[in-house]
Amino acid sequence: MLDHTADVGFELRASTLEELFDEARRALLMVAFERPPQAGADERGIQLSAPDRETLLVRWLNELTYLVQDAGFVPTGAQIRLQGTAGAGPSLKASLIGAPVLLEEYGWQGEIKSATFHGLDVSNDDEGWHARVILDV
Amino acid sequence: MNFERLGQYKYRIPREGKMQVDAAFYASEKILDDLEAEDYASLRQLQNVATLPGIVEPALTMPDIHWGYGFPIGGVAAFDPKEGGIVSPGGVGFDVNCGVRLLTSEIDREELELRKDRLADALYEAVPSGMGRGRTDFRMSREELAEVLVEGPAPLVERGFGEAEDLGHIESGGKLSGADPGAISARAYERGLPQLGTLGSGNHFLEVQYVDEVYDEQAAEAFGLREGWVTVLIHSGSRGLGHQVCQEYVERFLEAAPRYGVELVDRQLAAAPIESPEGEDYLRAMASAANFAFANRQLISHFTREAFASVGFEERRLRLLYDLAHNNAKFEMHAGREVLVHRKGATRAFGPGTAELPEEYHSVGQPVLVPGDMGRYSFVLAGTEGAMRETFGSSAHGAGRKMSRRKAKKAARDRDVVGEMREKGILVRAAGRATVDEEMSEAYKDAADVIEATHGAGIGRRVARLRPLIVVKG
Repeated sequence: MLDHTADVGFELRASTLEELFDEARRALLMVAFERPPQAGADERGIQLSAPDRETLLVRWLNELTYLVQDAGFVPTGAQIRLQGTAGAGPSLKASLIGAPVLLEEYGWQGEIKSATFHGLDVSNDDEGWHARVILDV
Repeated sequence: MNFERLGQYKYRIPREGKMQVDAAFYASEKILDDLEAEDYASLRQLQNVATLPGIVEPALTMPDIHWGYGFPIGGVAAFDPKEGGIVSPGGVGFDVNCGVRLLTSEIDREELELRKDRLADALYEAVPSGMGRGRTDFRMSREELAEVLVEGPAPLVERGFGEAEDLGHIESGGKLSGADPGAISARAYERGLPQLGTLGSGNHFLEVQYVDEVYDEQAAEAFGLREGWVTVLIHSGSRGLGHQVCQEYVERFLEAAPRYGVELVDRQLAAAPIESPEGEDYLRAMASAANFAFANRQLISHFTREAFASVGFEERRLRLLYDLAHNNAKFEMHAGREVLVHRKGATRAFGPGTAELPEEYHSVGQPVLVPGDMGRYSFVLAGTEGAMRETFGSSAHGAGRKMSRRKAKKAARDRDVVGEMREKGILVRAAGRATVDEEMSEAYKDAADVIEATHGAGIGRRVARLRPLIVVKG
């Protein structure tokens, strides 16, 4: 987690881009809940595309935020498939399992307004993939 | 960081690098120390704003400046549409028309103390806060919401959710022109419909307070403030509807910016010319979200009035002193030309004689409401001619955080912040512990420092100080 004065941020590392997106899901739940649920029985699917990886990560986090805050679904697990289409930017398909939101039980931490593009970075090096995201809360 | 002192509270950052214009900021010695401690991160964000096309000198921040995303919080930037000026959804923020409104009463503090517990419970019950839906006894159809997006709170007042006089005491009459529900996506409608009349969480709150000190008798009299009288301060915005509007348009503007030759030093500053299809669409959507926010605070005011009535104050009027936005972009006339003024965590603070103001405020200027933290105090100021000359009629909007939310929660881990507040005579009702901990007094700068710089620089005139009695948080 990053110490942003007004908002909340996190830095992530993973060996693959799919794992990085799943780490982002976990980090989002850690921002939203003190004790996020570990398992669920409900299922949902998400399909997203974007002009670049950074925008795709923002869309992914915003879609998950919408599911938690507006649809009452906490995504406890995800099978993520990422594809790059020549000339069209990356796309994502995810099968989610999740649980209904229980505010007190999970220790709700407050609303998230959005993922931002400020200081956003998704890149890879010899050690794998990393990302940096700041959320407006 | 290269800057020079222009006065006791005013500084200039000369144009350098990609900056199109000079920047200026307002700070006391204490605030300057805070800026240095964060390695001037928010001043660098101000420099970034100064790179945007068509900006009118200077790019500004108010004394409650702190590190944001894209624009610094406290940022004010005016753009000239005739000079290729841009509009930036990130420069307005995700919570479009986040703002505050102050209700005043002639209820004495002592009188309220007798019913404080019951009132705290009644307010927490009446005003939906935290995550989730609004009140089960208030429903709105999609068509009714579309009307609110165009008209603001007026249709709600017609349905009995407020007093006719309320509308004249809202910035811009509670209605930004040019709103078009067609510029709002289905997802934004879906998110907004159940959230009209809800407070939200984070730094949003409802506070019952009393007037603790009056600094300017004439202005206080005009505003209806007297020492010992009870007030209610409401802080909320456009909820999920506004967040959705900003998300969608930031992405659209990221795609559009290069086509218009707008170079972005920070992607969150995504921008397009005001006079472009993208710019015009955003302004229609933003006005709709702004009108939603005015209506949201109107409905919360109605629920507040109901709660006061339910504990025996049914004969006592809660009059709307003023409602103002602190995340917005508005066309205004400054120095003889029309500019689009972005205020990101800053308050419009028009001076005496402004035609739009209610008649009783004409001679003193626009009320400027500056919430502090929940344990200390908030301030009421009046807009000044100085602000009209120097800051595009803008002033501070709050205390400004000094501690990250994470640090604040850590500092509060072994403490009972609600109990500490009770010891000080302040009752807290909140959906969860987390938002109370992260909003504790120590997480914020002292609002008095912000007011010292604001008043001292002449961009807002100190009128009264308000101390909290009850705090409702999400």
